[in-house]
Amino acid sequence: MANIRQLDKRRKSVRNIRKITRTMELIATARFKKAMDRAAAATDYTKRITQIVQDLAKSGTDVSHPLLQAHSEVKAVDMLVLTANRGLCGGYNGSVVRVAVQRRNEIKEQAEAGQTSVSGKRGISAFRFAGVPVEKTYSEFDDQPSFDAVARIADELITRYITGQVDRVDVAYTRFVSSSKQIPTVETLLPFAGIEVLSSNSASNSTPSISTPSNSSDKTSTEKKLRDDYEFLPSAAGILEEVVPASFRARLFKCFLDAAVSEQIARMVAMKSATENAGDLIKSLSRTFNRARQSKITQEIMEIIGGVEALG
Amino acid sequence: MSSGTGVHCVVVTPEKTELDTHCDSLILPLFDGELGILPGRSPMVGRLGFGLMKLKGAGKVEEWFVDGGFVQVTREAVYILTDRLLKPNQIDRATAEADLKKASEIRPATPEAFALRDRALAQARAKLRVGT
Repeated sequence: MANIRQLDKRRKSVRNIRKITRTMELIATARFKKAMDRAAAATDYTKRITQIVQDLAKSGTDVSHPLLQAHSEVKAVDMLVLTANRGLCGGYNGSVVRVAVQRRNEIKEQAEAGQTSVSGKRGISAFRFAGVPVEKTYSEFDDQPSFDAVARIADELITRYITGQVDRVDVAYTRFVSSSKQIPTVETLLPFAGIEVLSSNSASNSTPSISTPSNSSDKTSTEKKLRDDYEFLPSAAGILEEVVPASFRARLFKCFLDAAVSEQIARMVAMKSATENAGDLIKSLSRTFNRARQSKITQEIMEIIGGVEALG
Repeated sequence: MSSGTGVHCVVVTPEKTELDTHCDSLILPLFDGELGILPGRSPMVGRLGFGLMKLKGAGKVEEWFVDGGFVQVTREAVYILTDRLLKPNQIDRATAEADLKKASEIRPATPEAFALRDRALAQARAKLRVGT
């Protein structure tokens, strides 16, 4: 008796959970699309910056900037960890925290000083649990990080790097490769490597991080023949002075966008399997419930028959 | 930029392409003063300062605040790369004032730090000047 009621109750609660996980999956899908669109819209800027850098490189400018120069002695290493504000997204937060803590232990062997900053409530509590001191925390970044907020962090890092307070900046985040592949990675952002890569393979006209449609690269190569003589105001070097911090800010922003997209995908996948699991559970609970009900009915009939026989 | 009658003006921020429009001419705040661009301008790359960008077209002048960045004039279009594109009334004066105060309190020791401070000062002052 009690068993049947319990089974029914359990089945009901699993049904409710399935409803919730399915809704979360749908929300994550919608947010993923939005985050993906934002990430796609952001590539315009990187493409144009790349174009300017190529034009600068062609004009024979010596590419040098304090952000590009590695400091001779690495004493202080800053680290920025990008996690989610919310859970229920599978191994997303855990894997970023894992690579971050691992890198942090490696850093500790080489350098003593340096700040660790964590974005996302999940990462903050994970670091607190691990007993890792964290200097700065951010929890304002959701599925649509704003450039303004990211630029503030970037400017701070630039100041710290140029004034020599820090000798290297690492960022731990989930890199978005494709919608079926995201890798938790730790990348060194400063000294900045983006520009050198661009200038060395300027002929190929694209970086691995920017996906250019194949027809547009042909078009730009013909365009380039037409426009060879740019006028630089104030000078090529003066423009470079601004290009490097600008592309650093864009690069950091890309990290935040990647993290946001990856989070939504992770949540989508986690919720999808949760919904499926709940479905399986309901199936097996229903089977047990039906069996229990049937055996109860059978037992009652037997009792009635037994009673009739006793009377007769 | 084409030698046609108008200027194709594209404003790109790190978030998205904010503006893609045609106008008769435009005035940009460069690092050391204003630069006017008319149809058929020869190719150039310039560093932008902080200030008002004016788009002239159809008897109207449209004003935008640009927050540093670059301008690239090509044969096809004028590309403006800036961190933020705001209408003058969207500027947050309180934040700008706080930034100005913070920047003026910096005591730079190296030439690089000086440059960083000057940039922050110029940015905050331009915002206060343009903001309504």
